[in-house]
Amino acid sequence: MTEASSAAGFTPAAADASAAILIEKLNLWYGDFQALLDVDLRVRAGAITSLIGPSGCGKTTLLRSVNRINERLGYVRTTGSIRLWGLDVLDPSVEVAQLRKQVGMVFQRPNPLLLSVRDNVLFGTRVHLPDGRPPNRVEGDRIVEEALRQVLLWDELKDSLDRRGTELSLEQQQKLCIARLLPVKPRLLLMDEPCSALDPAGTEAVEELIWKLRGDYTILIVTHNMAQARRASEECVFMLLGEIIEHSDTASMFLNPANDQTAAYIEGRYG
Amino acid sequence: MSEVAHAADRRDAAWWIDRVVQILVLAGGLSAIVFIAGIFVFITREGAGFVFDRFDFREFFGSPRWTPTSSHNPTYGALALIAGTASVTGLAMVVSVPFSLGAAIYIGEFATGRVRETLKVLVELLAAIPSVVWGFIGLSIMNPLIIQTFDVPVGLNVLNAGVILGLMAAPIMTTIAEDALKAVPDTYREAAEAMGATRWQVTFKVVLPAARNGLVAATLLGVGRGFGETMAVLMASGHSINLPTSPFDSVRALTATIAAELGETAAGSDHYQALFTLGIFLFLVTFAINFAADVFVRGGQRKRRRRGRRPAASANP
Amino acid sequence: MIQNKGSDTLVNVAQAWAEEYAALRPGTAVAVTGGGSGTGIAAMINGTVDIANSSRKMKDSEIELARGNGNEPIEFVVGYDALAVYVHPDNPMDEISLEQLAALYGEGGDIDSWSQYGVEVPGCGSDEIVRVSRQNNSGTYVYFREAVLGDRRDFRLGSRDMHGSKDVVDLVENTPCAIGYSGFAYATDHVKMPCVRKGEDGDCVSPSVDSAIDGSYPIARPLFMYTSGQPEGVIREYIDWVLSDEGQCIIYEKGYAPRGDVDCS
Repeated sequence: MTEASSAAGFTPAAADASAAILIEKLNLWYGDFQALLDVDLRVRAGAITSLIGPSGCGKTTLLRSVNRINERLGYVRTTGSIRLWGLDVLDPSVEVAQLRKQVGMVFQRPNPLLLSVRDNVLFGTRVHLPDGRPPNRVEGDRIVEEALRQVLLWDELKDSLDRRGTELSLEQQQKLCIARLLPVKPRLLLMDEPCSALDPAGTEAVEELIWKLRGDYTILIVTHNMAQARRASEECVFMLLGEIIEHSDTASMFLNPANDQTAAYIEGRYG
Repeated sequence: MSEVAHAADRRDAAWWIDRVVQILVLAGGLSAIVFIAGIFVFITREGAGFVFDRFDFREFFGSPRWTPTSSHNPTYGALALIAGTASVTGLAMVVSVPFSLGAAIYIGEFATGRVRETLKVLVELLAAIPSVVWGFIGLSIMNPLIIQTFDVPVGLNVLNAGVILGLMAAPIMTTIAEDALKAVPDTYREAAEAMGATRWQVTFKVVLPAARNGLVAATLLGVGRGFGETMAVLMASGHSINLPTSPFDSVRALTATIAAELGETAAGSDHYQALFTLGIFLFLVTFAINFAADVFVRGGQRKRRRRGRRPAASANP
Repeated sequence: MIQNKGSDTLVNVAQAWAEEYAALRPGTAVAVTGGGSGTGIAAMINGTVDIANSSRKMKDSEIELARGNGNEPIEFVVGYDALAVYVHPDNPMDEISLEQLAALYGEGGDIDSWSQYGVEVPGCGSDEIVRVSRQNNSGTYVYFREAVLGDRRDFRLGSRDMHGSKDVVDLVENTPCAIGYSGFAYATDHVKMPCVRKGEDGDCVSPSVDSAIDGSYPIARPLFMYTSGQPEGVIREYIDWVLSDEGQCIIYEKGYAPRGDVDCS
């Protein structure tokens, strides 16, 4: 295990670029149950990093710690530090609303709000008021078009912006859930198995979209799907029982895993 | 299912219990229909004589003169009674809608653990206070209080009855509104919170719009409760035939009129039938209100079901 | 078992009679229920009661209805009730005439404020008179209309119509601007009863059992019991006992006037 933990300290070749996320000695408890043990992680800015590991290994918990959405549960206790571009996320003085403006999140099941497509996209601007006021009609139109173009939905939906977001197909819903994050210009996108509720065609389309967003955003993505991790990410983190076992660039992890447990998981021997 | 039972030829105790329970439940369900139809038939029959022989539409809805026991010129104008009921119910809604929506939002969206449970129990306790006790509070506490505070001649008026009725309607409205908020899937809240919305923004921009139908239904049921309430209104409104022009006017409600007069009216007399005509009118109005509330609740459910089905269908081509 | 039902004014007395009688004649039980004069009369018409109590006379139409059902109502006057006028104890008014009452309560009346009576009521800044009345088919209401307003005159709308004799007194007690009428037996220490005058120069008489007995109080009304046909057997015995000195002393103790002189010492 000690050997494995040290693997977490692995520094990717391109780490010269400033780290987007720097996690140190992160421990997390749900009540009495410890879900994360001394997690250290450095996520490279502008890259797609995938978190893999068997169910219950803590990857979703780790993801949900970054924007502190975990705290909704009320019985979560966290120690250690999470820094986003130097900002100490866990500092009690941090306004979670401002934090979450920087950190968008995509959930396992598409969860558009019970509003029109347009209002879904504009929701962030109405909450955060980037210009100190909600966007007017013209600005709103521009923002909606831009965001929907970025997620490749504009052509499909430009005539049905008043439809409820919840009435779209699941693939469209998930793209909409990504689109609504963009107008407030987050720097980091957290994605929790974003394709698990989609059919193969939808999965492919959303993966394509994620790949397209690479570079503009730092993306941390949890996935159960080995092929997806391999196809759609540049770095890969393998977790087991609340610890990070191995962290390397995706190609080398899949070709040549450093740790036996990683190898076993990748080969499908458990998980 | 009896075909299935035949095919399997398995009529054991569980099968018989199932049959009996089904019949009992069916009887229970049908009895509700039988009762409601029976009540309507009874009220209509008792009031029919008046409706067909004596009923004058313009007098009933246009005149405030309700003098059924006049020795020489009985008149049956229900306008003042309708205005009394409407004004008291209206004020009650002004009192209870903010109060109960606020309580529901606090209990459903903000309070946690002990506080939440305690509040829920308290609200339900409020619902358990009998009507006559509320009336008594109106008569002996609110009346002098209103006289002193507003320097008006009498404290039995629209204000008194409206406040009392508002407090009476608040628990049921709170409970139903809270149910409506609870029915909003948590994923909406999570999504909005993850986008950086504050708790209040989540509530106001996401949860309340999503629960709108349920909240309208809660309000309508509160209106129905206010409309049908009798004893407390009888005691707190002043029971005075009046077209109210201010909250400090005494008024008389439809229900209170029936309650006060029916007991001492000879069965079959014009007065008796006129009271039943008021009853028919009340029945129709409360029926319409409850029906509207039901439509709203169902409207919400149907939409939600459709929303649930459509994406699933498109996910499995 | 004798079924006895009706007037709320009489219900306390009827209860006292029934209890006393049960002690005297253990074999005969009397079941008393209130509900109002109209309730008792309705039950008499429908033949579901042995004795109906009423604080007003049965109307001709009601007697017709009862006859139609084979019940011939027989009337017994069992006592008298003074109908007191009540005002708030701070109200300086000490006397009032029937004409003044009619101008206040009657349709077309023109009195709305205390200053029209020439009094200023402490605690009643608005000067408005709050008229307290009864629901429109109570015996008290009907009698007050006959005695004060006359046969052909209705009440003015807008009075606060209370649902019981006691409610009238309660409301007046708590409302400086109020005036109301109710049975003398419901008087408390917290209300004032002005004397009542018939005509401008008649004597002003305070309500009391004595002034009701001697007939000097202008708004005292008879209280009735009705039986279906000439009473026989246990019902006859009970009515006779109610009308005896013993029964009449009980009504006297309850604050009503007996039908004639009795010695209750």
